[in-house]
Amino acid sequence: MSTEKKSLWKDLMDLPKNIYRSIFRNPLPASDRGRAATSFTNFFLHIQPVRVNKRTLRPSYTMGLGLISFFLFVILAVTGVLLMFYYVPSTTQAYDRMLDLRSSVAFGVILRNMHRWAAHAMVAVVFLHMCRVFLTGSYKAPREFNWNIGVGLFLLTLFSSFTGYLLPWDQLAFWAITVGTSIAGYAPLIGHQLQFLLLGDATVGQEALLRFYVLHVVVLPIALVLLVAVHFWRIRKDGGLARPEPSELPAPAAVVAPAGEVVAALPARRFAIQGLVKGPLVKVGTLDDDTVFSWPNLLIAELFVLLLTVAGLMAVSLFFNAPLEHPVNVMHPPNPAKAPWYFLGLQEQVSYSAFWGGVGVPAIELLLLVLVPYIDRSKEGVGRWFARQRVWANTLFLTFVLVNIVLIVIGTFFRGANWQFVSPF
Amino acid sequence: MRLALAVVSLVVLVGSGVVIVDQFHSQWQDHQKAYFNQALGLAKTPAERAALDGRTPRLEQVIATGFGDARVDRCESCHIASDDPRFTQGKEPLRTHPYSAEMGDVLKDGRWERRHKFTEFGCTACHDGQGRGLDKADAHGEETEWPRPMSGYTTQADWDKNIAGHLKGKEFLQANCVRCHADKDFAGAPEVAKGRALFFKTGCFGCHRIEGISSGTLGPDLSEEGKERKVDYLWGHIVDPRAYTPTSIMPKFKLTDDERKSLVIFLKSRQGVDYSSSAVAGYKLAGTTNKPVPESAIAVESTLSTSLTSAARGEKLIEGYACLSCHKLDDHDGGISPDLSREGLLRDEQWLTDHFKNPRSRVPDSDMPVFGLPENDYRDMAAYLLTRNSPAPAATPAETYKNLCARCHGEKGDGKGINSTYIDPAPRDLTLAEFMANKPESRLINSIQNGVPGTSMPPWSKVLTADQTKGVLDYVWASFVKTPHRQLKPRKIPDVNPVAMTPESIHQGEAIYLQRCTGCHGRKADGHGPNSLDISPRPRNLRNAAFVQATSDRRLLESITYGVEGTAMPSWIDYGLSQNQIGDILNYIRSLNAEPKTGK
Repeated sequence: MSTEKKSLWKDLMDLPKNIYRSIFRNPLPASDRGRAATSFTNFFLHIQPVRVNKRTLRPSYTMGLGLISFFLFVILAVTGVLLMFYYVPSTTQAYDRMLDLRSSVAFGVILRNMHRWAAHAMVAVVFLHMCRVFLTGSYKAPREFNWNIGVGLFLLTLFSSFTGYLLPWDQLAFWAITVGTSIAGYAPLIGHQLQFLLLGDATVGQEALLRFYVLHVVVLPIALVLLVAVHFWRIRKDGGLARPEPSELPAPAAVVAPAGEVVAALPARRFAIQGLVKGPLVKVGTLDDDTVFSWPNLLIAELFVLLLTVAGLMAVSLFFNAPLEHPVNVMHPPNPAKAPWYFLGLQEQVSYSAFWGGVGVPAIELLLLVLVPYIDRSKEGVGRWFARQRVWANTLFLTFVLVNIVLIVIGTFFRGANWQFVSPF
Repeated sequence: MRLALAVVSLVVLVGSGVVIVDQFHSQWQDHQKAYFNQALGLAKTPAERAALDGRTPRLEQVIATGFGDARVDRCESCHIASDDPRFTQGKEPLRTHPYSAEMGDVLKDGRWERRHKFTEFGCTACHDGQGRGLDKADAHGEETEWPRPMSGYTTQADWDKNIAGHLKGKEFLQANCVRCHADKDFAGAPEVAKGRALFFKTGCFGCHRIEGISSGTLGPDLSEEGKERKVDYLWGHIVDPRAYTPTSIMPKFKLTDDERKSLVIFLKSRQGVDYSSSAVAGYKLAGTTNKPVPESAIAVESTLSTSLTSAARGEKLIEGYACLSCHKLDDHDGGISPDLSREGLLRDEQWLTDHFKNPRSRVPDSDMPVFGLPENDYRDMAAYLLTRNSPAPAATPAETYKNLCARCHGEKGDGKGINSTYIDPAPRDLTLAEFMANKPESRLINSIQNGVPGTSMPPWSKVLTADQTKGVLDYVWASFVKTPHRQLKPRKIPDVNPVAMTPESIHQGEAIYLQRCTGCHGRKADGHGPNSLDISPRPRNLRNAAFVQATSDRRLLESITYGVEGTAMPSWIDYGLSQNQIGDILNYIRSLNAEPKTGK
C-alpha cells in the first residue's frame, strides 16, 4: 500500500518533469554527442546540419539575407492570417475594412503596417539574396537547380506582393494594378488572354479583387511554402552553402589520413559526417577543423537574425503608417498612375517601348537568370565575394542590376504628370 | 554576440510594449472617464449618481441607415456629452451640441428635443469626417488620404495655406443640408442658394452640366463634384483653373472671396445622391431629354416688363445674364472675352444671332459656350448690340490702339493681351517682324478693315476711317515691328489653283498631306498635330471653314509653296513638292471645308 502510494506520489511529483521529457527528448546538451542529437532529433531543427562550416556562419558572407527573407515570409503569413479575419474581398466593403483596421480594430494598425512593410521588405531582401548568391558564384554546380528554384521564389514573391497590392481597394491599389496588368497585356499572342485571366473582366473590378485575393491568400502562399521547402532541402542535399574548394583556401596543416584510420581513431568525429551528404571521406580531416556544431552556433545566429528582422520591422511599423489613399474612383486616375515600386522599372521601360520594355527585355533577363548556371560552368571563384576569376560575370550581372535600379529610381522619383521628366529636388 | 542579442531582444520587447500600451490606452477612454467624473459632480439626484457609478468607458456608436450607404458613427465615443444638456459650457470634446430652434429643435418643458436626432442621423451626415475613426486625427479626417475631412473645420496638411484660411466656418455644413432639403429655396442653406444663383450669374451653367440644373457640355459634368473633390480643390480651381489643370480652358472669373465661398459650398453640395429622392425619381430625371431652362433666364425674364422695346429688353438681358462676367461693355469688364462696346459696327444681325445660337458656327475654335437661352432673347440681345454703334472717337493712333487693339494684341503688341489666352486662333504677335515685314501692306490693311473670318479679329472698317486704319498700322510698325518695310519680290503664283478639283487630285493631296503635314497640322487637319504645342504661332486649323473659304487660292498656294516667314511653316518647294502636288494638297484642304458651314 504504502509503496504504491509512494510510487503514485512520486509519479505525481515527477509529472512536470515527465511531460517535459516527453516533449524534449534530450536534455540541454553538454557533450558533442548531445549537441548533435539536439539537431537531428528535433522536428524543427533537423532541417539543419549537425555541424556547419564556419564560413557559412560569417555574417559578412551571407548577411543573413536568405534567412531574413524566410522570416519575413513567416511574419507575413502570421500577420496575413490575422488580417484575413477582418478582410472582405468585396469592392463595397474592402475599403471600409481598411478604415476599420486603421481606426478601430485591436492591433489593426500595427498588423497592417507590419504586413505591408514586410511585403515590401521581402521583395527587396529576396532580390538582395539573389545578388548575394550570384556575386559569390554560389549558383554553380551542383546548385544550378536550387538557383532556379530561387528564381521561381523571387517571381512568386513579386507576384504575391503585387496581388496583395490590390486588396485595400484604394486609388493606389486600383491604378497600380491597372497599370501592372496592362503591362501583362503587352505580351504577344497571349497578352490579352493573360490579362483577362488575371482580371476576370476587361477592367479591374470585383472579379479581379476576388481573383487577386484567392491568389494572394491561398495559391501563392502554398506555392511559396512548397518551393521554400524544396529550396531548403536542396541546400542540404547540394552540400550546404557554397564555399571555396579546400584547395583554394590556405590549407591548414592537416595530415590527410586514410579514411578508415581516422574513423577508427576518432570515433567522436563520425558525427561530423552527419553534416555531409556527398564527398569522399578523406575530406573529413579538413572539414573537421572548419566546422562547428549547429547547436548553439548556428541557432544563435538564426535567433539573432530573427530578432533583428522583427525589431527592424516593428520599428518601421511603429513610425510609418502603411499608405491608404482615397477609395477607388474609376473616373479619376491619378496622374501619373504608377505601378508598385518594384514594377516601376518595367513601367519606365514600357514608356519607351510597350513590347520590348514590358515583355521582351524582362523575358530575356529572366531567361538569362534561368540559364546562367548552365552557361557558366567554370568552377572557379565559388563561395567568395567578387572573386577575381568571376569579374566578367559579376560585372555583367551588376550592370543589369544597376540599370534596373536606376530605372526604378527614375520611375519612382523623376516621373510626374503624363510621365514627364520632373526633378524631385 | 550576447550584447547584440540582448539589445535586439530589448528592442523587440519595448516595441511590443509600446504596441500593447498604445492599444489599450485610448483617448476616447480618457474623455469618457473625464466625463463620468464631471457628470458625477453635476449629478443632483442619487439616481443620477447611481447610474454614473457603474459606468466604465465603452465604445459609443450610431449606425445610421437612412442616408445612402449605412454609416457607422463612433463620434460619441469622445463627444460623449453631445446630448447631455448640462455641458453647454464644456470644453470640446465634452460639450453639448448646440440646440437650435432654426434647425427645428424644440424646447419642451425646459428640455430641448432635437429635430435631427443623433441616433437617427449620426454625425457625419452633416459634419462629414470619418465616422469609424476612434482617434482624433482619423475621425476628423486630418490626414491627406481621408476623402471627407470635417466640413468647415478640418484643414488637411497638403492644402494650400492661402486657400485653407477661407475654408473654415459652419456655413460649409450647408452643403450637406441640401442633400436632403433638396428644394432650391430651402431657407436653411442660404449659402447654397447664393452659390446656385452665382452658378448662373457667372455663366458657369454655359459650360458645366449639373443634373437637373444645367446642360453645358464644354466643361466637365459637376453633378457629383462635391463627392469627388475636396473644398480646397474647388476653391483653388475657381481662383486659378490652370494651376490645377494646365490645359484647362476655364477662365479666371472675377469673383470676391464671399462669392467664391458660396460657389464652393454650392459645388460641395453636388454629391450625386439626393437623399430625399427615390431611386425611381432619379431614374426619371436621368431619362429626361429636355434641357433644363437656365434658372437665370427665368429669374431675369420675370423682372422684365413686356412694354420694353426689343433693344431695351436686350440690354437688360445682357446685364442680367452672364455675358459681362467674361465680356466688356463700357465699364463692366469680365476681363476674359472681347469688348462688346462697339459690336454694332463690327457685326451684323445675322452674324450675332448665328453666334449666339452656336458661337462655333462663326469662330470654329471659340470657347464661348452655347447657353441655350430662348430664341427671342437672342434676337433682343442682338438688337441691343446693334445699337452699340458709336464710332471710335478721334484720337491719336496710340490711343486707338490702346482702346481697340490692346485687349487682344497686348499693350506691348506681343499678342498677349488680357483675353488672349481664351482666343483661338491666338491674336497675332505684332512684334514678330519676320512675319509682319514680309506681308504686303495691303494685306495687313485688309485684315484690319475686313477682319479675319473664322477668328476673333472683327472687321474695323465701320469703326475706323481709312486714315485711322493707316495711322494704327503705322503706329504698330513704329512701336512693335520696328523694321523698315521690305520691298517684296513679286512671286510667280497662279491666282487660281491650276490643278482641277477631282477626286483623284483630292486623294493624292490627302496622301501627301498625311505624309508631310500631320506633324504640325494634325491628322484631322485641326491644327493640333503632335508638334503643335511647341510651335508659336500655332499651326493653322485647316478645318476652320470660315477662314479657308474666305482665303484666296493664291494666298494658300503661296503659304504652302514658299512657307510663311516668321512661323514654323517651311517652304515646301524647297522640300521637294512640285507645283502640282501643292495644288493637290490645296484641293484636299478645300475638300475638307466644302460644306457651306457658315453664312456667306
